[in-house]
Amino acid sequence: MNILLLSLILCLSIFSLIAKDLLHSVIALSAISILSALFFTFLRAPDVAITEAAVGAGVSTIIYVWAIRHTKRKDGEK
Amino acid sequence: MKKARILKVVLTTILISLATLPIIISNINWPTLARDYLFVNALEETGASNTVSSIYLGYRLMDTLGETLVLFVAITGTMSILLNIHKQALESVETKSTLVPEKRKKNALRTNLVEVVASKLGPIILLFGIYVMLFGHISPGGGFQGGVIIASAIVFLRLGTDVKTKITNSHVLERIEAFSFISLILITTYVLFFPDGFFSSIATGSSFLSAGIIIVLNIIIGIKVGTSLAVMIIAMMGGQRDN
Repeated sequence: MNILLLSLILCLSIFSLIAKDLLHSVIALSAISILSALFFTFLRAPDVAITEAAVGAGVSTIIYVWAIRHTKRKDGEK
Repeated sequence: MKKARILKVVLTTILISLATLPIIISNINWPTLARDYLFVNALEETGASNTVSSIYLGYRLMDTLGETLVLFVAITGTMSILLNIHKQALESVETKSTLVPEKRKKNALRTNLVEVVASKLGPIILLFGIYVMLFGHISPGGGFQGGVIIASAIVFLRLGTDVKTKITNSHVLERIEAFSFISLILITTYVLFFPDGFFSSIATGSSFLSAGIIIVLNIIIGIKVGTSLAVMIIAMMGGQRDN
């Protein structure tokens, strides 16, 4: 179970690095936070899990999406 | 181009794993002295059955004050940048991401989906945040976590409903934040001069009121974090001075 969660987290983080669209990266980061919260719960650290879920999946996603909304999409050059 | 990018990512991953490999494969025992001491004594000395809470509000209270100051400085800097942005381009931000532009001129961030979900979920999340904040000494959670949940609830209420209430008003939130920050500093300095003050329990055991001042500190930190984050996010959404 731990190996599965850790490999999912690793895959998602690599995806968030190489994804073209920044919104996809942000959603992948949010999923990483939720998976880490699950993982912390399995490791018996519920305080850290609550912090990770509230800050990582909630507030920081809002802030990232707000910041991306204020940038311009640059297509063409691939 | 893309192949080179993937190659870079793979190379970075290999380098990071090589750098962290000695930490993973080394077989040093973790220090257990503080853990054993806290396991025996933390409940008696602070009255909080959640040991994490008894550490960061009992034994290490000054560190918590420092963390609150860090958050305060970060939010002050963000607000000063945001206010300049809004002074420059207030109108162009407003109508950018609307789905139905002819209906949503007043609040550009509201769509039908956001309205239905956020307005119904907001009060429930607010209640859950208050629960996490109040029961931080018994169950997992605490002031900071509860405050972040309260902040997201306030943002939900702000986005979802058209009703102007006091809890989504920036000016009221700023005043509450300043008041709670002053009372946090006052309580912390009081504890500095009278160290017995925050180890005195009202009741014994793990009942609701057993933690004494830890409950008060949880409430104050929760209100401080919640209101300051809510003020920052509301200012980000472009509604700083509209009421």
